[in-house]
Amino acid sequence: MSEPTLPAAKSAGRMNDAMLSSLRPPTLRWYLLAFFLGAVVAWGLYAFGYMVSTDMSCTGLDRPVMWGIFIVNFVFWIGLSHSGTMVSAILRLSRANWRRPILRAAEAMTVFTVTVGALFPLIHLGRNWVFFYLIPYPNQRGLWPNFRSALLWDATAIFTYVIGSSLFLYLGMLPDLAVARDRSAGWRRTLYGALAMGWRGTAREWLIFHKASTLMAALIIPVAVSVHSIVAWDFAVTVVPGWHSTIFPPYFVIGAILSGVAAVITLMVIIRKAFHLEEYLTPLHFDNMGKLLLVIALLWSYAYFVEVQTTWYAHEPIEWEVFSFMAGKYTPALLLMLVGNSLLPLTALCFRRIRRSVGAMLAISLLVNVAMFIERYLIIVPSLSHKNMPFVWGTYFPSWVELSVTAGAFAGFALMYTLFAKCFPMVALTDVRELEARKVLVPFARAELPSIAGKEAGDD
Amino acid sequence: MIEILGIFRDFESAGRAVERLVGEGFAEAQITSLTSVPYPDGALVKTGQRTRFRWLTLGCFIVGAVAGFALAAGTAWLYPVQTGEKPIIAYYPTGIVTYELAMLFALAGTIVGMFLEMGLPVWRKRPYDPAIAEGCIGISVTIHPGGEAVVCGREAETGECIGSVFSLPAGEQKSRAEEIMREAGALRIVAEEPS
Amino acid sequence: MEKQTSPYRWGMVVDLDRCSGCGACVVACQAENNVAICGKKEIAEGRNMHWLRIERFWVGEYPNVRARFLPVLCQHCRDAPCEPVCPVYASYHNPDGLNGQVYNRCVGTRYCGNNCPYAVRVFNFYSHQWPKPLENQLSPDITVRTRGVMEKCTFCIQRIRRAKEDAGGEGRLIRDGEVQPACAQTCPTEALVFGNLADPRSRVARLVRSPRRFRLLEHLGTHPSVYYLKGGGREHV
Repeated sequence: MSEPTLPAAKSAGRMNDAMLSSLRPPTLRWYLLAFFLGAVVAWGLYAFGYMVSTDMSCTGLDRPVMWGIFIVNFVFWIGLSHSGTMVSAILRLSRANWRRPILRAAEAMTVFTVTVGALFPLIHLGRNWVFFYLIPYPNQRGLWPNFRSALLWDATAIFTYVIGSSLFLYLGMLPDLAVARDRSAGWRRTLYGALAMGWRGTAREWLIFHKASTLMAALIIPVAVSVHSIVAWDFAVTVVPGWHSTIFPPYFVIGAILSGVAAVITLMVIIRKAFHLEEYLTPLHFDNMGKLLLVIALLWSYAYFVEVQTTWYAHEPIEWEVFSFMAGKYTPALLLMLVGNSLLPLTALCFRRIRRSVGAMLAISLLVNVAMFIERYLIIVPSLSHKNMPFVWGTYFPSWVELSVTAGAFAGFALMYTLFAKCFPMVALTDVRELEARKVLVPFARAELPSIAGKEAGDD
Repeated sequence: MIEILGIFRDFESAGRAVERLVGEGFAEAQITSLTSVPYPDGALVKTGQRTRFRWLTLGCFIVGAVAGFALAAGTAWLYPVQTGEKPIIAYYPTGIVTYELAMLFALAGTIVGMFLEMGLPVWRKRPYDPAIAEGCIGISVTIHPGGEAVVCGREAETGECIGSVFSLPAGEQKSRAEEIMREAGALRIVAEEPS
Repeated sequence: MEKQTSPYRWGMVVDLDRCSGCGACVVACQAENNVAICGKKEIAEGRNMHWLRIERFWVGEYPNVRARFLPVLCQHCRDAPCEPVCPVYASYHNPDGLNGQVYNRCVGTRYCGNNCPYAVRVFNFYSHQWPKPLENQLSPDITVRTRGVMEKCTFCIQRIRRAKEDAGGEGRLIRDGEVQPACAQTCPTEALVFGNLADPRSRVARLVRSPRRFRLLEHLGTHPSVYYLKGGGREHV
């Protein structure tokens, strides 16, 4: 990288001020936003309550399409959660210095998207009120869940991922919480003080902290891969044409990272604008994230091509029926998906000017996620619509209840994220400041070039 | 045991203080730095590079694997449900559940091990200054009661852990350290009463 | 653990040459099993509750068109795709080779319904009511299912249970033809024959040896217990 990641020589205090600006007392606009999001969440809850208190006839589901937009949401949200922790872990392990201002936004996104995603399997149950039948604990009913079911694998994997990514988020935040504690008063001081656990930043604490961060990053990556593989197995282990496919786990993992990287870019744009972090989230960061998105979009295109190509070549009647039905009935959606996930990122992101333009990156990243939502829909719904018995082919369109719950989920995620941003440091400030503190100018022939002193802490 | 903490505005004066403290007979192990960003090891103070919490990660991984295996295979064997021709214990699902629980325990074990090895959480008040968060650097010296041969740490000898100052009474050690830090340019000294 | 064994392996033969598509089996099934009554709206929505359906296909070009009928009920697969995917063992396999469904265990994930290639599992999308006086004909031998649970053909397991009790009291096995599900009992052309496939002398076991036999979606390897005897000899010969 030729240019410095950050403007040179800034005082620690000023950087603290800038990066902790999100913790300032909320403005009226913030309250309005929170109120609006809260209202949408309340509407989603009402729709869910309506479904639970009446019956499931208010959904668009039927026979044969017994899974609809709730499961699309489940796959979509769990997919979104992938980039957060995974990208942050990969960048940590690969010591990419530009990662630093992005870490927190990505890790927090993971925790909240996986929380939202994990609710959907429970929302979609026909009898939500007995959801605890799925939990393995000794009980007087003599019931024990069936570990052969992919849904139980989901439950264990998502539980591990929720706990793991929350710990990962908390671990990364520990020194920042100490800084926030030292700069605040009142209830905030009590809260940060409790969460910072008496951290003082001794040399020994830093050493252990870095080793632990590296280890956590190494551990969380295989968990993330397994989570989305298992989500893919929900479909791949069935005998439903269009679902039963060996490429599904890697294909889903790639799709998950694609939507996740795009979501991180979207959030970067929003955070940058909302908290005036233009100095810290520079075009360089968008450039690098754009390159990452380009690579993942290439991988996605490859996986999709392989999936369709094998089916096309084999031309097994019922498998091909699913594909041709999907292409026929959902042509506009299919085209939008191909443009958003493949054609657009593959062409636009080749250009440095586009990668460095914040507005263009916002548009591309949003379109990628729209396309990914469509992709999940096109995997789930057409396959179920045209299963093996042509006599019971059917169609599906989501009802107002399902759409309201979906809207509630989006608003719920945004609300949790907004609240988090108000309560916790949204930029990994110690990570950023560490780089700044170690930046030195080295005389090199006729110029002075910036260099980072010492190997990165945590390297052994 | 007393801890005194000098607060320095910049990196250079803090480094100078550490140099002089070592020169005066304080051991490296008695001195640590309090910073809000990490510095490369040896820039200010040297720390023992050995850490042990990763053994806890490994231990937890194994415990988690056993727990996962018991959850999926153990319960199936304990309460057999015969479903057609299928075996009582399902192989692949057992593997998946075992893996997930092993990873869960390993992740939790890493965090627990990290805090245990850091000696956190600590809720009592220790010498500290909020200025550290603003980029100031704290240099802390731990003073042991004088004339006492203290063995600190399993592998450390007395001489390594407490330098040649150990023969002096604690009060004198303390005033000497304070003096050195003031000379080096400490903004202020925060001291802790003996506990 | 000792493996549970059973002298029975219940199966059915559907002779497509005999089926006239009258639909009596569908009605009988509905009456026997407390199957909910669905109106036009529900059927149009694809939410009808029939455990047994008659698929009607048209063969040939006008004016030489013939209707062909295919009664489809739960195939009681030996390797049923619906069973392993159920997270709560609501869908299970009993020693007689039946795919059982425990209604009060079901939480309604509908995974089994998706994974059933024959699409014979029906889900209670509605809270069904039985308009007066139809509630008087509800059978006390079988649960009335609530909303949110999956249900399907059981080969009239309540009749099998009763026959087992009668035979057990007399210390013998169930005789061939002693127990019949409602559909087979009602079929006017005897297109549906039910019996014990494990007994080589039973009527089903003899019919199954016919060269006309086939099973639905046999390539999926589900090993159904319902055999079909190929029909339509007249069109194709």
